[in-house]
Amino acid sequence: MKRSVWLLSALFVMGCITGCNEKGVKIGVSAPISGDIAALGQSTKNAVLLAQEEINAKGGINVGGKMQKVTFIIEDDENKPEAAATVFQKLINQDKVVAIIGSQSSKCSNAGAPIAEAAGIPQISPWSTNPNVTSGKQFVFRACFIDPYQGKVVAGFARDKMKAATAAVLYDVASDYNKGIAEVFRDEFAKSGGKVVGFETYNTNDKDFSAQLSKIKGATPDVLFLPNYFNDVPLQIQQARKLGMTCKVVGSDGWDNQELIKMGGKDMEGAYFTNHYSPDVDRPASKAFIAKYTKKFNSQVDAAAALTYDSVYLLVNAIEKAGKADPKAIRDAIASTKNFEGATGAISFSGSGDPTKGAVIIRISNGKFVFDSAVN
Amino acid sequence: MIETAIQQIFNAAQLGAVYALIALGYTMVYGTIRLINFAHGDIFMLGGFIGFLLVTLIPGLPVAVMIPLAMLLTAMVGVLIERAAYRKLRGAQRMSLVITALGVGIFLENLVRILVGPQARQIPAQLPNKVLKLANGVVITEDKLLIIVISLLLMVILWIFVNKTLIGTAMRAVADNRDAVQLMGINLNLIIATTFAVGSALAAAGGIFFGQAYSIDPYMGIDLGWKAFIAAVIGGIGSIEGAVIGSFLLAGVEVVTVAYLSSNLKNGIAFGLLIILLLIRPNGIMGRAELKKV
Repeated sequence: MKRSVWLLSALFVMGCITGCNEKGVKIGVSAPISGDIAALGQSTKNAVLLAQEEINAKGGINVGGKMQKVTFIIEDDENKPEAAATVFQKLINQDKVVAIIGSQSSKCSNAGAPIAEAAGIPQISPWSTNPNVTSGKQFVFRACFIDPYQGKVVAGFARDKMKAATAAVLYDVASDYNKGIAEVFRDEFAKSGGKVVGFETYNTNDKDFSAQLSKIKGATPDVLFLPNYFNDVPLQIQQARKLGMTCKVVGSDGWDNQELIKMGGKDMEGAYFTNHYSPDVDRPASKAFIAKYTKKFNSQVDAAAALTYDSVYLLVNAIEKAGKADPKAIRDAIASTKNFEGATGAISFSGSGDPTKGAVIIRISNGKFVFDSAVN
Repeated sequence: MIETAIQQIFNAAQLGAVYALIALGYTMVYGTIRLINFAHGDIFMLGGFIGFLLVTLIPGLPVAVMIPLAMLLTAMVGVLIERAAYRKLRGAQRMSLVITALGVGIFLENLVRILVGPQARQIPAQLPNKVLKLANGVVITEDKLLIIVISLLLMVILWIFVNKTLIGTAMRAVADNRDAVQLMGINLNLIIATTFAVGSALAAAGGIFFGQAYSIDPYMGIDLGWKAFIAAVIGGIGSIEGAVIGSFLLAGVEVVTVAYLSSNLKNGIAFGLLIILLLIRPNGIMGRAELKKV
């Protein structure tokens, strides 16, 4: 008997802790705080904390005339789909959030999106470019372009600007993002008259790529396309150079993090990649964000941080426009967003969860990411 | 074509050397106390991080000091793990030991993640790493060559240690009959501790070479640990020669699959072949069937 009394009172206390402070708007964040792309999880967290501080300093979100404080509940999805699914469940069922920002990688967003969709909770993924994330869903949005577009841009760049007649691809076959963009590139490159002479794969957590690279070396491509994350790319380029490969290298938005240069060093020089934005482009919203971010965290902004910041404000605008913190109303307000001026450019939604946005090409020069050209 | 083939042989040799340094630890521990030490892959990871910390904390530390020092420190951790986690369970069921080993492994991964952070890091280049051009476009870097040579050297030293020294003889005696050995006045705890120390030291060398050639992160021991364990089983777990042969064989099959079939099939074919091999020789290539006295 005694034990059950204790248990009941413990439950009551817990219920109070989680349920009693119902004031304010709660928004969930699913981010890779640990795991293979943890450096990116940190920039996600930074961007969210910066936005939270700004919003609450102004008194909070204006929900139908009443100012309400906002709380972001940041959870670690370890960049693993199974963990992302748990995080989404927890945010929706336990924390009762009104919307979710995240996740970053496509494989995690793909795991979370069906859960958000079924629960009718709006989700905005900042950085997931795989088409499957939003397709056929009412409540799932993203703040970035999609891979068929990005693959076309990078294939066109390799053909026209880099003058490549032949190309080889090495990609992580176990990840939705890497696989999707590799296949788009292969098709687009061939369609524009080029020849794909190598199409090799590896698995997440592999560190030795020399067997695949030796095979690619034998095919002597003009350009090597590496649509992988920043933690693998430096190893791939180093190993290629050590094998004596001198071909040009091009990549995709998964490259955008300072870890790439920290680890790759001078082997990264002269490589290009597609990205969502560049700090070099003169845009007031972008300049303001970069200034605040670098001052607060003393580290460089990556695209994932900028897109996360934009996702947060997309959502906050939608809540203010809806006038109530109701998931369905928020969803409708996001879907009708037109010309939202974000740090990564203007964002508009028309019918689907994918915004219409342009891309930029970044060149790595003297250990820095330098703006090369913009594509619309 | 022939250049690519020769290039692939070097790639396989380097990968095989790293597998072998880990596989030796599995095989030695199993040989003496019949424990499959599933934490061994994480000791390999720990060795890499100890090397990394030594280089970053003491700038200018020569590589000839760093590697033995990291091996010594990791050996001490190995002995500590045996003392804290395994010794009390030595008489317990085999299953309890295996579960404990898995737990120790997960503990080590998370400890390193909390202390050092989850990012992948590279041990700054210590070994000379100039690219050597052989004939017809075949290239090899000096560090790759050194890794293969030093690994083989360590394996030879280990073989001499186990087969020609007194303590090595005692190790083999423990493997043969643990109870009888104690009656002969041999300190069983000392012998088992030595086994863990030597196995951990070799894994640390493997971790440092790996962190030099590739990169290190807290979870790298999982995949590599499994592969090295399987290499040890193919070679005949408990046998030193077997662990080395199994490692180079596994690396060879993996590289040949990528080179001449498809990189998609690498793990499927490598492990499919191993299953077939174990069906033909259940005790591995160098393994002997255990004799049961009736």
